[in-house]
Amino acid sequence: MTGGAWLCLAAPLGGTIAILLCGTRIPRAAAGWISTSSVAVAFAGAIWAFFGVHSQSRPQIIGFGNALPQRGELTTAWTWLQSATGHHVFSVGLQLLVDPLSAVMMLIVSGVGMLIVLYSVGYMDGDDEERRYFAYISFFVFSMLLLVEGGNLLLLLVGWGLVGLSSYLLIGFWHERPSAVQAAKKAFVMNAVGDATMALAFFILIAHTHSLSFGVLSVHLSSTETSLVALGLLGGAVAKSAQIPLQTWLPDAMEGPTPVSALIHAATMVTAGVYLIARTHAIFEQARTVELIAAGTGALTLLVAGLIALVQTDIKRVIAYSTMSQIGYMFLGVGVGAYSAGMFHLLTHAFFKALLFMAAGLVIHAVANEQDIRKLRGVGKLMPFTKWCFLAGALALVGIPPFSGFFSKDSIVASAAALGTWYGWIFWVCGVLGALLTGLYTFRLWFLVFPGEPSPFVREHYHDHHGREGAWTMLVPVGILALLATFGGWLQWAPKWHPFTSWLAPAAPTLAAAAPTSTQEYFTSAATVIAGLAGIAIAWAVYSEQRLAIPAAPFLRRTFEHKFWFDELYDAVFYRPAAALAGVLFREFEEPVVLQTGPDLGETTLAAGDLMRRIQTGLLRTYVLFLAGGAAAVVLAFLIVR
Amino acid sequence: MNALVVASVGNGLVWIVWVVAGFSLLASGVAVVSFSNPFYSALALIGNLASLAVMYLLLSAEFVAAAQVLVYAGAVMVMFLFVIAYVGPRREEAWSGGPTWQSVGAVLAAGALLVEIVVAVGLQASGHLGSDGKVGPAFGTPAWIGRVFLTDHLLAFEITSVVLLIAAVGGVILGSHARRGVPNPEASTR
Amino acid sequence: MSGPGVAWYIAIAGFLFGIGALGVLIRRNPLIVLLSLELMLNSANLALIAFARHFHNGAGQVFALAVMAVAASEVCVGLGLVVALNRKRLRLDVDSLSELRG
Repeated sequence: MTGGAWLCLAAPLGGTIAILLCGTRIPRAAAGWISTSSVAVAFAGAIWAFFGVHSQSRPQIIGFGNALPQRGELTTAWTWLQSATGHHVFSVGLQLLVDPLSAVMMLIVSGVGMLIVLYSVGYMDGDDEERRYFAYISFFVFSMLLLVEGGNLLLLLVGWGLVGLSSYLLIGFWHERPSAVQAAKKAFVMNAVGDATMALAFFILIAHTHSLSFGVLSVHLSSTETSLVALGLLGGAVAKSAQIPLQTWLPDAMEGPTPVSALIHAATMVTAGVYLIARTHAIFEQARTVELIAAGTGALTLLVAGLIALVQTDIKRVIAYSTMSQIGYMFLGVGVGAYSAGMFHLLTHAFFKALLFMAAGLVIHAVANEQDIRKLRGVGKLMPFTKWCFLAGALALVGIPPFSGFFSKDSIVASAAALGTWYGWIFWVCGVLGALLTGLYTFRLWFLVFPGEPSPFVREHYHDHHGREGAWTMLVPVGILALLATFGGWLQWAPKWHPFTSWLAPAAPTLAAAAPTSTQEYFTSAATVIAGLAGIAIAWAVYSEQRLAIPAAPFLRRTFEHKFWFDELYDAVFYRPAAALAGVLFREFEEPVVLQTGPDLGETTLAAGDLMRRIQTGLLRTYVLFLAGGAAAVVLAFLIVR
Repeated sequence: MNALVVASVGNGLVWIVWVVAGFSLLASGVAVVSFSNPFYSALALIGNLASLAVMYLLLSAEFVAAAQVLVYAGAVMVMFLFVIAYVGPRREEAWSGGPTWQSVGAVLAAGALLVEIVVAVGLQASGHLGSDGKVGPAFGTPAWIGRVFLTDHLLAFEITSVVLLIAAVGGVILGSHARRGVPNPEASTR
Repeated sequence: MSGPGVAWYIAIAGFLFGIGALGVLIRRNPLIVLLSLELMLNSANLALIAFARHFHNGAGQVFALAVMAVAASEVCVGLGLVVALNRKRLRLDVDSLSELRG
């Protein structure tokens, strides 16, 4: 199974290196096929690793230092760094961990990644810089796999940083667009805040336990230290997963190409925060308050994002806020202690969110890159395949049985009820309200874009791809994901059969406090489904048949449109002072001192040269004088010395 | 008693000759440097060479003294006078133009060298430069010089002859007429 | 017969050397410069002969002869230069030959 892990990790990296080395010698499309096949090889490796863990006959102690038997294997390539103080040795090896949790993530990343990279071959066809795109995408898959396969906290952090880098590179892919460049910088800077808090948490761990292996998370530190470490990790998770208060970068990240939005900002990178909390659950359970703060953050985000999504007019932004909201659900799940429920929602979310993005990409690609839903009406008539796939994804998102979202989302909300405490019930209400909002904004989007007669804009600009709605490389992944979004949830229905939870139990067992009873499950399911259907009905009434009028509520509308004024707040508090300081420093220090150093050096050298030039008088007598003077000096030296 | 008288008279004679020769040496040296007419400078140098020959005689270097007069005063200075005559009369004020930094520096450098030599001599005088002893009668004779030259210092002898050859060739080349067709762009007035 | 010790001869040679150096550094006529150069060479010769007498070593006199030969060669070439300068109608002034001025 470790061979599978190494193959999974190395294949996309090999793809990137191959594309970089070949450069412009290969045709543009070839870069796409190199990338796709490298990720496909990674998927094969992931399957190999998965079966390896599955067939492990008896649990083994992986050497985390805690006594719980684990499943899986920890393989070390070599010791990466090592330092010793006193009799403590701090050493970090190049380790890969294959256990149930990482196997699931590997399958998701490489599997969904493979489909999305295949889709990119069709989507990015004709772009001038296709090769660079595919090199970046393969590099991203490698980084994400490193993150999930990392066998210790330091390698996880390396993967964490690299996915941030890949995200920056890909958001700003069309770098001639200033808005894309700004969005890329914004994403990177906000992620860096999370990286900093994670690093601080690691420093505390190193100081007290002299190790960064996963086992240290079970070590008992003092309660303040535990809380600080957990807070640091939570900060990183919040930044990477775009939860409040570090969520403003995600909508802007839609400047990148649509497959990038599908892969990075829906299916994989933004879910890394959820994975982190599940992986480091040992320390979160010791700092229960922080874990509940994570759940609260998730609950708050899922509501706020849902409200903002109600007024968005860009098709990709609606789906982006939807992502933010669904990750809120996942945070809620892992925050209360239902790790497998959160991870299961991660799995189904990967399916239907990638599907939604890719279907939206089909529409955008076909209608001259138009993303404003006010102009796109009645596209469904011209693109039926897309319409039905999008509908499947939308129903999965809202959580209508038998689509996949139903099975995963309800477990989370039921776990909140299982807590029994006052905040548990608040979370439960948030979850149900969120289901209503999800139905509302999702089907607002669907009703505005797909059914009915095509608008004049659509009629004028629609062009198909040789009689089909898109290239086959785009249609096939969308179809596969539509099937997965429809049937994928049948993997687990918590009250009746739960292979997924049992699979993850060795790595991330659900807390007993968060395990709902069957009654709670059924009750919650009923509540959320009714809420979802209500949302769909309201959307149908308002946006399709125009029977209901929306109340004006201008203040609310403005607040939603300004995304609850977060951007303005950060601009005033962080950006303006920093920009002012930078301006002052540039004027007072950099220009006169630093930038002047170069010219000053040059002028000094020239002046010195001028001075030296005076010695070259060209007169014989001067040179002889120097000779005589030199001879006198030498004799003097002789006299003194001897 | 007689020997002592003779010796002291001989000593006094040597000293007198030395003082006279030294005085003329220095005076002619100053004259070489000071005259504005190069012809007079050359004549002063001939006087200098003659005084030097006397000094050499005092130092039991008879052959060298003879060679000095024959070669230096006889051949080299004659060559000098030929060229000065060929070049023609020209006057140059030796110390014209006031003290430039060049002249000040020159005086300083020459003075420094002089002072250093005197100091060196003075310092070492205590140890090594005491009164000398006797030298043998063959010291300084042509036969003796010839033997030393051709046995101990044969290499110097040969190299010197090569140097002379090169100088002769160089002199011929430098003094030959310019080839036809080579322009004279830097013609200037005399 | 004893006379002045070798120190006196060296002192005289030193003075002569200084005068010759002064002449080389100050005068502008190349002929005078060459003459001053001869002065310096002769002072060196005097020192050599004096030391030969003091240390009973014939090498000093031999070397003095070699110096004389080399001085003759150098004068020959130097005068050839002066003649060439004169033929090209250049000024006989070492200060005017300053094409190496930086």
